[in-house]
Amino acid sequence: MSRTITCPVCGRRNGYEFRFGGEDKGPRPEEEGMSPEKWFEYTHLNDCKAGIRKEWWFHRDGCGVWFTIFRDTASNREVVRPPERELEAVP
Amino acid sequence: MAHKTKRLWKYQPLKSSYDAVIIGGGLHGLATAYFLAKKHGLSNVAVIEKRYIGFGGAGRNTAIVRANQRTQENLPLYREALQLWPVLTKELDFNLMFHNCGNLNLFHSEAAMKAARLNTASGQFHGIKSHLIDAEECKRMVPALDISDRPRYPILGAMYHPPGGIVRHDAVVWGLAKGASKHGAHIHQGTEVTGIEVYKGKVAGVHTDKGKIKTPRVLNAAGAYSADISSRLLGAKLPISVLTIQAMVTQPLKPLLNHVVSSGAYHCYANQTLKGEIATGAHMDPWPNYTNETTAHYIKHQAEALTEFLPCLAGVKFMRIWGGLADMTPDMAPIIDGNEPVEGYYIDCGWGYFGFKSSTVTGKYMARYMAEGRCPEILKPFALSRFKEHRLMGETAALVNYTPDN
Ligand SMILES: Cc1cc2nc3c(=O)[nH]c(=O)nc-3n(C[C@H](O)[C@H](O)[C@H](O)COP(=O)(O)OP(=O)(O)OC[C@H]3O[C@@H](n4cnc5c(N)ncnc54)[C@H](O)[C@@H]3O)c2cc1C
Ligand SMILES: [Zn+2]
Repeated sequence: MSRTITCPVCGRRNGYEFRFGGEDKGPRPEEEGMSPEKWFEYTHLNDCKAGIRKEWWFHRDGCGVWFTIFRDTASNREVVRPPERELEAVP
Repeated sequence: MAHKTKRLWKYQPLKSSYDAVIIGGGLHGLATAYFLAKKHGLSNVAVIEKRYIGFGGAGRNTAIVRANQRTQENLPLYREALQLWPVLTKELDFNLMFHNCGNLNLFHSEAAMKAARLNTASGQFHGIKSHLIDAEECKRMVPALDISDRPRYPILGAMYHPPGGIVRHDAVVWGLAKGASKHGAHIHQGTEVTGIEVYKGKVAGVHTDKGKIKTPRVLNAAGAYSADISSRLLGAKLPISVLTIQAMVTQPLKPLLNHVVSSGAYHCYANQTLKGEIATGAHMDPWPNYTNETTAHYIKHQAEALTEFLPCLAGVKFMRIWGGLADMTPDMAPIIDGNEPVEGYYIDCGWGYFGFKSSTVTGKYMARYMAEGRCPEILKPFALSRFKEHRLMGETAALVNYTPDN
């Protein structure tokens, strides 16, 4: 199977149409109480997990929408949202 | 004639304790083990390799070496790395096949030529030879280049860097393994590090699938797997993204390319191996992953890009394609640190697709770092703290930005 990514607007499309937008790290930290340490964690640090994780994608050569998907980095394939109990480690 | 084969490195049983354990039998791990044993008398060292030595980037890279980087922090390291090849060839008594053919970086815009002027001047400041040449000179050096205005991005000129070239990557793996083993280091293949034991803020040992090892020092040199290991085993996340990078070779041809030729605009670089094949590498795949998968997308991309500036390659067949992993940092420079977040834990990773050329010199200084516990000057700029202080290195400049974002 080729590498595809499912855009919420355009459906399943060739993966090369998309731009990776980073691991999903939750909401941007509040300005109040912001420290260089917190900003560093949010902007730069990654889990680099080998397995299923939630991440951001951008349909660059398509409709231009930003969205999140689940992907297994060990198989390099998009996966359906895993059941809650397997999701523990996924943000 | 009877021919007796001898193993280059010895098989040893896994001991229950070592003075230092190195995770990863790649270039950086083996080089560090070699220098620890040879120069610092720390021969009770184990290299723990999950698969076989050279399984990672070490055996998959396109073997290009050069010292034409952009920043003051990077240049001295890469300069010394180039000087080490002939020395190590002798020292290891192993032919590393340094083919000093020089590198030609093609430019297709005034902006890129301007950026290269800074690279050239910075290199010259550090005593590294590089100079700019115009399109006619490129053509004289590599007659196969198309310098007309036919290509989509016509060639305006190039940065010529005579001290670089190609080194046989497998030979470096085997030579370093041979040298490390000769000086007493143990190499354990087929052994995976599964845990790092910390006691009172200090490294106490590592767990492997073959048993526990006590040790006061651990070096994480697991290449593309370093960030996963660091975050999973120590809870210390790193600013890294792991991407696939693909390379391929054509059928062998008569000599036509006597330099490494690269083009940022075309996301393409190529050299002719000593066997005659054109070895070429591309841009990275845009998705973080841990497979070594290849795609038809890049076969087409390489064919298109190569035949733009080397049109004589049209119709030539690709023989093999392979993929490897690149651990990319946001500033195209590695992460080299020690005693962070716990005492005795060292890290040397984030080498992306450029960690072959630097492996031996980094191993040399990493060994000193681990033996003395103090970071050598030359490695200091690569500490993880630069990201916290937002002092990223400007290694990319106007050249193509190789991050997961494009
Ligand atoms: C296609 C391609 C082309 C490249 N071209 C060039 C080039 O032209 N010039 C250049 O300078 N660089 C190039 N590189 C980059 C270079 O190959 C890498 O930067 C370099 O190999 C990194 O060395 P390393 O020792 O850090 O990691 P690696 O050589 O990847 O070694 C890491 C080792 O750690 C092992 N490991 C992982 N997890 C564990 C564990 N839990 N326990 C035990 N062992 C483990 C792995 O099996 C692996 O053998 C290229 C890379 C690729 C993929
Ligand atoms: Zn879309």
